[in-house]
Amino acid sequence: MTDPILSLNDARLTLDGNAGPVDILRGITLDVEKGETLGLIGPSGSGKSSLLMLMGGLERATGGQITALGHDLTAMSEDALARFRRDHMGVVFQSFHLIPTMTALENVATPLELAGKPDAFERAAEELAAVGLAGRADHYPAQMSGGEQQRVALARASAPRPDILLADEPTGNLDGPNGQAIMDMLFGLRDRHGATLVLVTHAPDLAQRCDRVIRLRDGALDRAEAAA
Amino acid sequence: MSLAADARLALKFASRELRGGLSGFRILLACLAIGVAAIAGVGSIRAAIEAGLEAEGAALLGGDAEVSFTYRFANEEERAWMTETALSVSEIADFRSMATVPREDGSTDRALTQIKAVDTTYPLIGTVGLSPDIPLPEALSCAADTPCIVAEQLLTDRLGLTPGDTLRLGSKTFVLGAILTNEPDSATGGFGFGPRIIVRRADLEGSGLLQPGTLFDSHYRMTLPEGADIDAIKAEAEGRFESSGLRWRDARNGAPGVARFVDRLGAFLILVGLSGLAVGGVGVSAAVRAYLARKTSVIATLRTLGATRQVIFLTYFLQIGALALLGIVAGLLLGGFVPLALAPIIADQLPVPARFGLFPGTLAEAAIYGALTALVFTLWPLARAEEVRAATLFRDALSAGRALPRPTYLVVIAVFLAVLVGTAALFSGTWELTLWTAGGIAFALVLLRLAGLLLRAAARRAQSAARGRAPLRWALASIGGPRSEALPVVLSLGLGLSVLAAVGQIDGNLRGAITRELPDRAPSFFFVDIQKDQMPAFLDRVETDPAVSRVDSAPMLRGIITRINGRPAAEVAGDHWVLRGDRGVTYSGPLPDTTRITAGEWWGPDYDGPPQISFAAEEAAEMGLNLGDEMTINILGRDITGTVTSFREVDFSTAGMGFITAMNPSALEGAPHSFIATVYADAQAEAAILRDIGNEAPNVTAIRVRDAIDRVAVLLQGIASATSWGAAATLLTGFLVLIGAALSGERDRVYEAAVLKTLGASRRRILGSLALRSALLGAGAGLVALAAGIAGAWAVSYFVLETDFAVIWANALAIVLGGLLANLLAGLAFAWRPLSVRPAQVLRAQD
Ligand SMILES: Nc1ncnc2c1ncn2[C@@H]1O[C@H](COP(=O)(O)OP(=O)(O)O)[C@@H](O)[C@H]1O
Ligand SMILES: [Mg+2]
Repeated sequence: MTDPILSLNDARLTLDGNAGPVDILRGITLDVEKGETLGLIGPSGSGKSSLLMLMGGLERATGGQITALGHDLTAMSEDALARFRRDHMGVVFQSFHLIPTMTALENVATPLELAGKPDAFERAAEELAAVGLAGRADHYPAQMSGGEQQRVALARASAPRPDILLADEPTGNLDGPNGQAIMDMLFGLRDRHGATLVLVTHAPDLAQRCDRVIRLRDGALDRAEAAA
Repeated sequence: MSLAADARLALKFASRELRGGLSGFRILLACLAIGVAAIAGVGSIRAAIEAGLEAEGAALLGGDAEVSFTYRFANEEERAWMTETALSVSEIADFRSMATVPREDGSTDRALTQIKAVDTTYPLIGTVGLSPDIPLPEALSCAADTPCIVAEQLLTDRLGLTPGDTLRLGSKTFVLGAILTNEPDSATGGFGFGPRIIVRRADLEGSGLLQPGTLFDSHYRMTLPEGADIDAIKAEAEGRFESSGLRWRDARNGAPGVARFVDRLGAFLILVGLSGLAVGGVGVSAAVRAYLARKTSVIATLRTLGATRQVIFLTYFLQIGALALLGIVAGLLLGGFVPLALAPIIADQLPVPARFGLFPGTLAEAAIYGALTALVFTLWPLARAEEVRAATLFRDALSAGRALPRPTYLVVIAVFLAVLVGTAALFSGTWELTLWTAGGIAFALVLLRLAGLLLRAAARRAQSAARGRAPLRWALASIGGPRSEALPVVLSLGLGLSVLAAVGQIDGNLRGAITRELPDRAPSFFFVDIQKDQMPAFLDRVETDPAVSRVDSAPMLRGIITRINGRPAAEVAGDHWVLRGDRGVTYSGPLPDTTRITAGEWWGPDYDGPPQISFAAEEAAEMGLNLGDEMTINILGRDITGTVTSFREVDFSTAGMGFITAMNPSALEGAPHSFIATVYADAQAEAAILRDIGNEAPNVTAIRVRDAIDRVAVLLQGIASATSWGAAATLLTGFLVLIGAALSGERDRVYEAAVLKTLGASRRRILGSLALRSALLGAGAGLVALAAGIAGAWAVSYFVLETDFAVIWANALAIVLGGLLANLLAGLAFAWRPLSVRPAQVLRAQD
């Protein structure tokens, strides 16, 4: 068996809440295999988003170890993490997080530009076309519907062909049909580019499309489920 | 619902929302406070000076009232009237002269001085301050066998004298009795060319000074009986001696020149202050807009729950109004009490007395400006807030239209604006200057707004060119894209810099005009008080000198134009400057070769018929004079009436000799007079000429034009630095507005940075983008300000000052660089959070 592409060893996260430190993740140990699609489920507030943030290096673990593609994320500087994401990761959020001052095309082109691709804008246009938004390239986020914004976000995350795609309830802010379309695209992209996908979701039917599902409860893995 | 009920409801909503504290309003408060404080401060200092001038009017004047004459002493009749009217009379003669000190090596040090020749009763009011601290009579009789003088330190330093040393005035030797530290009536003297000497007039006997024809003024200070009717006495004096050239002043207005100057400078500074307030207004407007943008969902919710537009408007009007009031009060406290606290320091810097205090009128003026500015700049965004509809809740706030406020509001805003300009004009007393300032600010605001829009459009266009250079493209995106801060930044920074640029350009041009252009064309010396019998020797000395390129000389008398065609001159020609006070009058037989006749004919060299007058053409046109008009000129108390037979071109700007009136010789030759001469010489020859003339004719006063120009330049420097302070207040406000803009944009920056980091951007690139963004905006604002400032300065130079204008590029460059740096600084000061924040902190909160 090959090395896992993502590996967490007793990862912990404690944040300072209003009423003192709060243990949000209490020691997560978990491997994600290359090419695998992992579903993360659990009640609201159980720490799913936090876990995804740790995997993406968007949040610093306060304990334990996180390795991605053999690199120890916990030992990297802020900028090294940024470069690592640029080269290996794509992230999709529940509330899209497009840059409001940039058009759809510019949003998609930004990670390609960061990677120094000379044809960033041509490739961005192709990615937009792939999510069915060729006609919306010059629109600002505020001029698009939620579903359209999420498709732009999806195009942006997958444009640099990341090894790992992290998606945090990408359909959480969308209605049924729109959500369905986004999910189809997400799985389509995974299939086409062979990326590893970690998907946080509430929807049971989505969880079923994953290779493996892990349930979080109160900041810890629900063992019974994990074993299944 | 009634207005009262709406207002009560609005008050409840408003007070609930204000419980959140003032954190979002610091900039609004500071902008208003600084603007109001600057105006209140300037106004308080002006009021203090005016109060001081009024309170010490008698001391400043040297008596309860004063009559003065030019070029002569009072005659018997006038003296008799004065002794009859006044309790006591003191006679003073004021004139320029040279003080000289012969050195052991045979050379002579010379200095120009303004001599005040006094009698034994001087000063009637106030005391003369001396060092050592002895009474004036003691100082003036310091030596047994030699007369004594007192002199200002500036003069004693220049000549290297200490009390007990000797110096010469004219051809007589004097001992320096003490150093003059305070001359109580100094503010009345007008613009003196040299430091002061006080001497007894009797002691000047035999000095060759104050001969007939010397250019001097005589002043008669009077103390009046308690309860005397000053107006009646003034009317009597003017009635009896109306055409003899008598001038009247009394203690109610002891130093009219100073008062007028202070008044004018104060008004000007307040107008500069108003520009600062306008910049503050931009900041206030931006703060209100940002606040209301944050409140959009609250407003929409209130609307959903049934609040009317009026309730919404009142709710926010009351909140902003309360805050504005707070800012204004803070500004008044600052502007009212800081001058009071610093009174001893400020008083030391002022050449005139000042009585500090809190001046309600002045503070009210500043408060009115502050309130009107707040109204004008907040009504617009407030009026748009009430347009927020319930449906906004369910759509993106960004898509809210940019509709104009309702017409009613536009009218109200226009009315307040008109009231603001009207108030400023009323208080400053100059419609012209106020309208120029208001027009200039409005023009600059429109220009800056257009420039802001243009900058955004340009940034949008340039983005495609910047593809591949990520930080630059992001910077351009945030300038050109939605939620851009380009407008407030360009407006505030731009307006502040425009004012600074305009002031800098005007000041530089003025100074340039005086120090650079003039000396090339101007003579090296003016010689005045040359007696007729000294003229041949004088001309012989200068005309045979190869270093002298040109000598002009003319007889010089002074006269007041009293009547035109038998009617009082002022009735015919109005308040023309030529009629205010006395003017130089000359005579000549042949037509001087530098003179060009524009109309009529010059009398011949041998003409000796009835008096004829040749008048300056431009002034004649302004006064409405025609050839053939009869004009009466009072010279040395005697009326001379002549016929205007020609007009001629007179150029005052070359600092040569410009006489408004010239007459035929036989009309004036009989009157006592002296000659004036201008000499154009090489700089190296100046010292020798000065020495020879001084030895030959010690009574003759030489004025080095360069020195005179230096004194004017020093005066201008003072005005310019006062103005710079005003402009600095404007800029400080502008900087605050910048910080406000940076602060309100911080959330957006943090968010962008978090997303960019997620996509893999390093902190260096994000910082680069932030810096580029600030620098581009700042440079843009600087460039526009430069254009606006230069346009404004040109307009002022061309229309108001009527001087040539050339762009001063060093100053211009500094403005653009300054704008760039200021905005860079403001931007980078707020770069820390976007850079340091972890993406999860931001992105999670938004999920
Ligand atoms: N910045 C924060 N400080 C303290 N606690 C936080 C912070 N952000 C989230 N939490 C808490 O952490 C827990 C896990 O949150 P999250 O990872 O968003 O859960 P999920 O995505 O499963 O709903 C929640 O209880 C939440 O209240
Ligand atoms: Mg979550």
